[in-house]
Amino acid sequence: MTKEEWLRFVDKIIQEDSREVVGVQAKMKKFVFAPLESSADLRLDYDVAVLPPKKYLLPQHEDLMRFSLKGGAEADMSPASGRIIFGVHPYDVIAIQQMDKVYLGKNPDDAYKKRRNETVLVASDILSVQERAFSASMGTNTVKEGYDLLVTDLKDRVLLEIGSEKGKILLEKYGKNIVDGENSDAEAANALRKEIASSFKTETIHGDDWHGLLEKEYGHPVWQEESEKCLECGSCTLVCPTCYCYDVQDIADLDMKEGARKRTWDGCLLKAFTAVGSGEVFRDKKKDRYRHRFYRKGKYNPDRYGFTACVGCGRCSTACLPDIADPANVFTRLASADEEGEPETNIDLTPPKVQEAEIDKPVLMPRSATIVRIEEPTKCEKLYELKMDDGKPLDYKPGQFVMVSVFGIGEAPISISSAPGGDTFEMVIREVGDVTGKLATMKPGDKIGIRGPMGNGFDAESMKGKDILFIAGGIGIVPMRSLIDTVLANRKDFGEVHILYGCKEPGEQLFKEASDEWDERDDVVHLLTVDKCPEGACWEGNIGLITTLIPNIDFNPENTVAVVIGPPIMYMYVIKELQKKDLPDGNILVSLERRMKCGIGKCGHCQINGVYTCVEGPVFNYEDIKGLPEAFHMGW
Amino acid sequence: MSEKVKPKVAFFDFASCEGCQLQIANLEEKILDLIDIVDVVSFREVMKEHSDDYDIAFIEGSIERPIDEERLKDIRSKAKLVVALGACACTGCVNKLRNQWTSEEAMKEVYGDDIPENDFFRVFPEAKSVDECVQVDAYIPGCPIDRSEFARIVTDLILGKKPRLPAYPVCVECKKNENICVFELGQFCLGPVTRAGCNSACPNFKSGCEGCRGFLDDIDMQAQKDVLEEYGITVDEMKDRFNMFNYKKEEY
Repeated sequence: MTKEEWLRFVDKIIQEDSREVVGVQAKMKKFVFAPLESSADLRLDYDVAVLPPKKYLLPQHEDLMRFSLKGGAEADMSPASGRIIFGVHPYDVIAIQQMDKVYLGKNPDDAYKKRRNETVLVASDILSVQERAFSASMGTNTVKEGYDLLVTDLKDRVLLEIGSEKGKILLEKYGKNIVDGENSDAEAANALRKEIASSFKTETIHGDDWHGLLEKEYGHPVWQEESEKCLECGSCTLVCPTCYCYDVQDIADLDMKEGARKRTWDGCLLKAFTAVGSGEVFRDKKKDRYRHRFYRKGKYNPDRYGFTACVGCGRCSTACLPDIADPANVFTRLASADEEGEPETNIDLTPPKVQEAEIDKPVLMPRSATIVRIEEPTKCEKLYELKMDDGKPLDYKPGQFVMVSVFGIGEAPISISSAPGGDTFEMVIREVGDVTGKLATMKPGDKIGIRGPMGNGFDAESMKGKDILFIAGGIGIVPMRSLIDTVLANRKDFGEVHILYGCKEPGEQLFKEASDEWDERDDVVHLLTVDKCPEGACWEGNIGLITTLIPNIDFNPENTVAVVIGPPIMYMYVIKELQKKDLPDGNILVSLERRMKCGIGKCGHCQINGVYTCVEGPVFNYEDIKGLPEAFHMGW
Repeated sequence: MSEKVKPKVAFFDFASCEGCQLQIANLEEKILDLIDIVDVVSFREVMKEHSDDYDIAFIEGSIERPIDEERLKDIRSKAKLVVALGACACTGCVNKLRNQWTSEEAMKEVYGDDIPENDFFRVFPEAKSVDECVQVDAYIPGCPIDRSEFARIVTDLILGKKPRLPAYPVCVECKKNENICVFELGQFCLGPVTRAGCNSACPNFKSGCEGCRGFLDDIDMQAQKDVLEEYGITVDEMKDRFNMFNYKKEEY
């Protein structure tokens, strides 16, 4: 079509369509996507927009729901009226396709889905190349699908290609008089694409080759050297079209009647990203965080989703003040290290072949539950019995967890301690953070929100016929209790049962009544230990770390499944003792704690290397994840 | 909230411009929500009444004189919670700039040679932040404070949630706001090391962050200095910029 026809087409949409129309326009010397008032403001000659159009699908800030502080939540919200986005470059189209794969794949994100469905993408071929962009190296400088319409500005004429039914409808509705393009337009567009492809100033090795490099460069000096210059400002992830991690916070209105659960962008370069309620930061060093970003791009996401999470847009390199964020530089350096034959550091980062857990829908909306009973088994912990208000009992497996909402305070992952099958369920909570702190002040009759059950629990079926060795440290006994009760309720289906439980001191022992019962049974070997026993405390069991119990027990390593749950520090010591007794690694099951915000494999906080603890765990077979440096060795 | 007894709240000012209290007075219609959840018993800027019976004391200003410290300690003994309100209370702010001279030099510079001999003119050798004198339960930083952060901290305190400040720098908010980096505009900015929570107020107006909300706990100052040097800031300029809102006797 002619340029005039194109401009009329855009203006007609702006004037007549009820949806919001946005497009690329100038902001000082740069460009941004913003509401479009006239086709004259649309700058298809832009190089790159400061923020990617991702902001329209996963906005910087959004309210996921409104809630009453007394309990009960309602999903937002205003009906999304849809949006037409003009001028999305090919690399950004590809980034959106990647987002779709994550946010619309398993356990789809409702808020994203709604916006995505109502968005029309009018892509635009690149006309000028940003200095630091390297999308030609990534094969993301042109695009053949993923858009609704694709426009190529050929100066006097404009080529418009239809990519979807949505695009066709838009064109039919507002471009009635537009005549079919000429063959010469397609040829001119191809020539333009070729010309642009050859004008990139930045190059690196193709994204497909990043994976192979990263497999052997986990210990490369580049991670330490470059991260030393890092300001930890998070800019590289915040401007990235392929980054989609987020944080969630409850904010009460000032009148304190209602509030909103707010979602906002987060980034793995920020230190608090992996911090859990008890204070542990799982990616503690700058080097760990810096490296994670590149591994996510080149290794974890390719393994998980089949794409390299970088489209070569050049935004991070431009935003990074110390200029250490540029993947082109890092991968070029890694590739040259390869050639120069620097020592390789092979780490087996093979992801476990675990099914992602499927979560009940709607995945982000809590169901209301009432606290029916509270007990105080120790000075530090409380036990809560909960009943779902909709009358549908929670259908869970031992080892699964729920996301508990205390409206106005926030949400926290909490494991279920009771055996499945009842009308109610129980959880035991130690006061460590905001949510658990508020729960400690609540009373029977109070309402909380429950999402889940979440994650992969224990497969008790597959353990039948085996000897079971339970090893719990501290509050690790809580998620274990559900499985212990399940095993003991079907005692004849299992072989020998050992329950080893250690805590810091006698006052911290949980489930005392159950423990006495286990003591009395002659089909259970139950051993207790405390790290130390303060003067005056009454204690008849062993004194010493949990590891001191293991050498003294007899089990058949061939037929035993060990279930190990405890604080992060405990695992390696316990597993070493089990290995000494010839227990194969594949016979060890663990349940890991990480920071979880979404519970559906999206927000990114709980990642152990490329593994999402929330949907692939929290229960893992040790064999599957022992190679992951972030699983058991903090600060590799 | 009506069924519960509302917490009694009092505002106090020390060495400051009282601009942070003004921010609260400027909550406009939201102030009705505020007085719906708290009982304001003392707030010199907006009311005549005063009571010594309060649960939460908001302290604006830095502590300059022994008589101030005495008054502050008295407030602390009466309040269940003490909240440092604004940069002067939180870090000492610009009031601490005088710490680079002796108090005698500073007094002479301001008041000349005839300084009256009484407690009003007797100052500490160095200006102090509130937490250098008494225990502080919550901080609302900034020069001036951010009104929505004030609202959040108040609701957090009443809900029994530990009031937390963002543990990430201003850059995070600035990027979300799609600002053009002020370094690219040829200015310098302390955003990368300064605690967020202001919604990148200054960079939103193309002006570099001055660090009024205080620096993050865990910052790599060397990395920041390297960046500033790269952008042509001299060591002296750097020191001045760092010290303006975050004076430190030992060098940054």
